[in-house]
Amino acid sequence: MPGFEFSDRPLEPAALRRALEDPACGGFATFEGWVRDHNEGLAVERLEYEAYAELAVKEGERIVAEAVSRFGVRGARCVHRVGALGLGELAVWVGVSSAHRGEAFAACRFIIDEVKHRVPIWKKEYYRNGDSGWVNCERCAQPTGSEHAHEHSHPHRPETVVARRPTAPDYSRQTVLPEVGAAGQARLRAGRVLVIGAGGLGTPVLSYLAGAGVGTVGILDGDVLEASNLHRQTLYSLADVGRPKALLAADRLRALNPDVDVRAHAERADAATLPALATGYDVLVDCTDNFTTHFLVNDVASRLGKPAVLASVYQYEGQLQVVAVGGACLRCVWPEATADGLVGNCADAGVLGPVPGALGSLQALEVLKLLLGLPSPARDGIVLIDLQTLETRRVAARRPAACATGPCMRLPATPAAAPDAEVPAAALARLAAEGYAVIDVREPREAQAQPVPVPHRLLPLARLLEDPAQLPAGGRYLFVCASGRRSRAAVEALRRAGVADTWSVAGGLAAIEAEVTTA
Amino acid sequence: MNTVEVQYYAILREQAGRSVERVTTAAGTLAALYEELRARHGLSLARTQLQVAVDGEFADWQAPLAAGARVVFIPPVAGG
Repeated sequence: MPGFEFSDRPLEPAALRRALEDPACGGFATFEGWVRDHNEGLAVERLEYEAYAELAVKEGERIVAEAVSRFGVRGARCVHRVGALGLGELAVWVGVSSAHRGEAFAACRFIIDEVKHRVPIWKKEYYRNGDSGWVNCERCAQPTGSEHAHEHSHPHRPETVVARRPTAPDYSRQTVLPEVGAAGQARLRAGRVLVIGAGGLGTPVLSYLAGAGVGTVGILDGDVLEASNLHRQTLYSLADVGRPKALLAADRLRALNPDVDVRAHAERADAATLPALATGYDVLVDCTDNFTTHFLVNDVASRLGKPAVLASVYQYEGQLQVVAVGGACLRCVWPEATADGLVGNCADAGVLGPVPGALGSLQALEVLKLLLGLPSPARDGIVLIDLQTLETRRVAARRPAACATGPCMRLPATPAAAPDAEVPAAALARLAAEGYAVIDVREPREAQAQPVPVPHRLLPLARLLEDPAQLPAGGRYLFVCASGRRSRAAVEALRRAGVADTWSVAGGLAAIEAEVTTA
Repeated sequence: MNTVEVQYYAILREQAGRSVERVTTAAGTLAALYEELRARHGLSLARTQLQVAVDGEFADWQAPLAAGARVVFIPPVAGG
């Protein structure tokens, strides 16, 4: 028999009392809390109770166990109603049986006082004047200093205002929503979400998921924080630069909500790490900045039969796609996996911080919807958002009939490991002198602004990918771009076309300039 | 000749220098329309690298172009 429980049906004192009958007991004390018709001068018509059940039951059990050990009683039990109650209805019942009456009275009083004070239960009163208000949230009304933790105004009895830090998060602002409630909060608590990439998209996702009380949050990111991240990655501080983002983010989330099991994976998301890691989670969130990982996350989710929430941004625009189990996936929208470098990322093309912030917030929202079982138009389609014009457009996508059962038919058999494709920036001049044709795959305006310092040819990546055969197969090629990303895509395309002796300058123009400066 | 509404996103919007335009064209398919606009605006992406949607649904490049269609060219986007 549980010491403490909730009931959404009317309580029956006779049955509750019977469960505590014990031939060794000479006394039985009971307390009943009833719905009364007024509170603080207002006439009450009815009320509703809500509880954060998982936490509340644990705390209630603790209180009853404390009462038993402190007063030496033989049996004790407390049952609290949740849901809608009318006037005069029984809201809470406490019963204690013991050898003598003194302990029974004391334990009964202790239990009801502690339950009122420590268990997260919220009462919404509906008044005869048409108003309503949440009261009795004594636990969430424990302010730090003079800060008032809730918004309705009523005088606080001095004994209920205890100046100490809250020991658990207060989810009342979301559990009040009819779509959430105690049951929804329990679903969030049971959720396990892996966030891949702790950058501009990932940081709002992580904050909101931890704040909402999602039970397990994984962070997969192999990068260290750079100063250029701070304008859009709001979890971090200047003093954090140089430290691994997965570890930094994990620290912040644990401070934000100690209830969340935060797991930091400070490694790159690739074909070697992600498939094994993903098995321990229910939802994958792709917050990375490159197509290779977008497709990898999509493919891993599809293989494992888990939903994935994908987003990416370009300057002032974003795309959002929720891959539901059995729904259209990234390869339904992009049948040909897109090469990296074809369109810019945040480093190449620029971005204002709130743009990934907005898209990341939407990703967090979509994750919560998935966990709560709410519908969303971001499934079976993509949502295009232009944050300059604030226009939003949804384009429907359909899963092909051939994929109706099982994972996506377009999945590659196994994700290929990238072959060695790079040469250091320091080798550029030497290799150019040895006869490698140097090819700048940036756009003309970039090439004009920052020229490659050796003889070269300009061939923007998009033009090159249209027809890789325009570069003769017998040639030796060295590709250069701004950061080494587009040049790597060029190498991959040429090697697929059978041109083996082709390389990418690691780090691109940025690394070449650094060489020149330090030389 | 048909008149259609064309919307550009991301790198296409940047290169076209506009996000929406009305186009009167002799193009019979979405593919022909894109090639026409690609030449006019100097768009860098080849047709195979992007997607096209008509009236809110992804469409086939060889689909015929109807008067009044709302055509959206969608390039892939990677940033995060």
